[in-house]
Amino acid sequence: MATTFLALWLLPFAGAIALWAFGPSLKRWAAFVGSATILISFALTLTLATDAFGKLGERIDLGTWMPGFSFGLWLDPLSLLWTLVITGVGGLIHVYSIGYMWNDRAIARFFAYMNFFVFAMLTLVLSDNFVGLLVGWGLVGLSSYFLIGFWFFKPAAVAAARKAFVINVVGDVGLMLGIFVLFAATHSIRYFDVFAKASTLPTETVLLACVAIFIACAAKSAQLPLQTWLPDAMEGPTPVSALIHAATMVTAGVYLIARCAPLWDVSPEARALVGTIGALTALTGAILGLAQWDIKRILAYSTMSQIGYMIMGVGVGAYQAGIFHFFTHAFFKAQLFLGAGIIIHALHDEQDVRKMGGLGKKMPFAFWAMAIGTLSIIGFPGLSGFFSKDAVIYGTLERGYPLLYAIAIVTAGITAYYMCRMLFVAFFGTYRGDVADAALGMPARPPARKSHDEESGHAPAWLMQAPVALLMIGSVFAGWLWLGGRWSGYFSDDFVAKPESAIVNFIPEFTSTLLVLAFVALGVAIAYRRYGSFDATSAASERLKRESLRMPAALTRALYFDDAIEFLFVRPARAIGRGFMRVVDPKLLDAAVLDVVWLVGWLGREARAMQTGLVRSYALVLVLGAAAFLAYFAVLGAPR
Amino acid sequence: MPVDISYYVILSAVLFFIGVAGVILRRNPLIVLMSIELIFNAANLALVAFAREWSNNAGHIFAFLVITVAAAEAAIGLAIVVVVFRRSKNVDVDEVAGLRG
Amino acid sequence: MILFWALAVLLIVSAVFTVMQKSPVHSVVGLLINFVILATLYLTLNAEFIFVIQIVVYSGAILILFVFVIALLSSGVGPFPEGPNRLPRIVVPAAIVILAAFGFLIYGLARAPLGVLPAHISTSTSGEVGQANVFGSVADFGSALFSTHLLPFEITAFILMVAVIGVVMLAGDAAPDRTRHRPKRRPRKREPIVKANR
Repeated sequence: MATTFLALWLLPFAGAIALWAFGPSLKRWAAFVGSATILISFALTLTLATDAFGKLGERIDLGTWMPGFSFGLWLDPLSLLWTLVITGVGGLIHVYSIGYMWNDRAIARFFAYMNFFVFAMLTLVLSDNFVGLLVGWGLVGLSSYFLIGFWFFKPAAVAAARKAFVINVVGDVGLMLGIFVLFAATHSIRYFDVFAKASTLPTETVLLACVAIFIACAAKSAQLPLQTWLPDAMEGPTPVSALIHAATMVTAGVYLIARCAPLWDVSPEARALVGTIGALTALTGAILGLAQWDIKRILAYSTMSQIGYMIMGVGVGAYQAGIFHFFTHAFFKAQLFLGAGIIIHALHDEQDVRKMGGLGKKMPFAFWAMAIGTLSIIGFPGLSGFFSKDAVIYGTLERGYPLLYAIAIVTAGITAYYMCRMLFVAFFGTYRGDVADAALGMPARPPARKSHDEESGHAPAWLMQAPVALLMIGSVFAGWLWLGGRWSGYFSDDFVAKPESAIVNFIPEFTSTLLVLAFVALGVAIAYRRYGSFDATSAASERLKRESLRMPAALTRALYFDDAIEFLFVRPARAIGRGFMRVVDPKLLDAAVLDVVWLVGWLGREARAMQTGLVRSYALVLVLGAAAFLAYFAVLGAPR
Repeated sequence: MPVDISYYVILSAVLFFIGVAGVILRRNPLIVLMSIELIFNAANLALVAFAREWSNNAGHIFAFLVITVAAAEAAIGLAIVVVVFRRSKNVDVDEVAGLRG
Repeated sequence: MILFWALAVLLIVSAVFTVMQKSPVHSVVGLLINFVILATLYLTLNAEFIFVIQIVVYSGAILILFVFVIALLSSGVGPFPEGPNRLPRIVVPAAIVILAAFGFLIYGLARAPLGVLPAHISTSTSGEVGQANVFGSVADFGSALFSTHLLPFEITAFILMVAVIGVVMLAGDAAPDRTRHRPKRRPRKREPIVKANR
């Protein structure tokens, strides 16, 4: 059992190493090797997830470095769920990537990075201690940097990768500070020990630790105010966006909060903070989604928004709801991204929805994939998203946060609007690929550079379609796990402390569900009237142009977050760098060295003055020496 | 009533430093060499004085050897002066500053 | 005592005269007087042989040597031409240093007791001047020179020979040009050890 556990953790790492080493020789086979490792890991995980799997899970001890620093792996219901998603959805995405990256010259490198990412993510969720978590946290950020900047000849991709990494580092610092605080208070890094003592710690300490840890979550999960990297991260290949920036890496924050639930239970202020930021991020993501026309950016902002829901859920204490939303979101978000990838691939890297249209008839499979994903995300009754979103929204009300509840409902409506708008614009009506950019209200853009080699043969279509199909099944049916049954035990809250705040029922759950659906329907209706109905589609070009040109600047500039960061941090940093370059370096550091050089020269010149070449001066020095000699003996007396 | 030796020694010292002054202050190489001879003689005076003081012949022998060597040295020194200043316009010790640097 | 003082004053005056004269010939004359006075002083110190040697070798040979060289170098009868003074302000530092050295020497001598040299006491006795076996006499000197101090004596012979050879080599005729018979060899063009970077 322990070997299975270790194998499923290390197999992706072995895959990464093998592909790094032998990738160039394996060429296209690398893709299959890379996918195989993840699928095997998934299979191994399944074997471990049997009925005999107790609440406390399985632990493997990896050794103790110093007293208080023991490392190990822990597979309990929480980490098992995450592992299943990572290896399962991850495995499907790997298979999809075989087709997507079929013609890419660096396909081996891609799969090496992807495997490395899976390994890092597994380290993050499987560790039984904070330091292992930190290691996984950092490595995941590194993998993200590798993968966003995979097409490193695109300057935009490189810049995006850098931005993501730098913001992640801010989070890393927060996490480290949190770990320091906890270690100072409890003298251990293991979850078990820390959480056992959590209730005995002073609330200020716990609040401090929670805030520090939440900074890390905000950075990793693209919550306010550290969210600016996520839209830019869409420069990476679409499978990367699907795996890392939708299903798994960005959910690491959610995992962390759920894991540290005992800490959050101690501090209601921390709870309020997390819940509020989650809700606000959800709202912000939705509002900004209104201004996006790039299909991947639409999905990016919707990811930000949905993770806001998850964070809000685990923040207020509705752990099961938040985690369940993560679970369903993994399915439909991955599906949406992969479907978008199919479209992008088919349209030769066209990503703007304004240039799409009528794809419903041309690409029915993609249409159904996107449609089901969209319906799931907006919470269409019966699909998985419906159950999970509803649970989260109602959870905030239950635990006494009516304001957040209101925000969540409004956000649901906005989400419905812009997601359906995307669907209608891209798939209904007629194809607008030949329409000029300006007629659609788009700014002029340079011709895109090919990221793949010329079409030298295509991958078999089923490689890309089968994973999407499997994900579709998940999107549709995963929700029913919530209703009970054999698997619902994973979402019981037995392994986290019971919330102390009373569960209040302002309104019964059924009414709340209807309220949510009302907003959702409103959003869908508006979208339909503007873009989906027959009259709308025939005038689509004009409508798109109108809406594009009238978009408020605040939205297109992403609420000026990027500008604020540029102003507050980037410019001072550059100024400091320039200051160093112009002042400190030449005047202080160089000057110090050059002063030494000058000193040596000066000494040399002064010493040179002694070498007059004149016999007389040498004679004088001789006599001077004799005088000194005589002085010595005169004063001290000749030796006896 | 022999003269106290200290007078001879002081006299020798005075002679010695007059010679030194000549070496430092004069620029004519011949006069410099003559000053060096003065120095030798001052040393000889001291040697002979102490020989008498201690009734030891060795002082005389040493003085004799000094004279011999001084002669050899004067010869070679003068030969050098001749060679160096054979064709130069100025007979000046300061002109021979080839080691300047 | 009066004799000593008279001789001492003459000695110093002639030394200063020697050092300060413009013309080397005048300096030679001053030096001659100096040596003669010195010889007389040796006589007062019972050093008969040294007295003779001083006059014969020093005044007689070395000074003549100086005169010959002056003759070789002089371009006329006037004083030698000299270049510009390169150390114009050396007088004061030189004076300070010399006086300091002199002062320390005297001070040191004053402090140190002049002990008796516990070495070989010559077999000579005191006596009249000119007598053999008397301290300072020629016989006494000779016996010491050829017995106890024979080795230095032989070495001085060697030194003198070296001096003679040196003088001849230095200032003698130039060696004949022996390179005329050697065929001229053009240096072979060699590969540079480090190739220049074009």
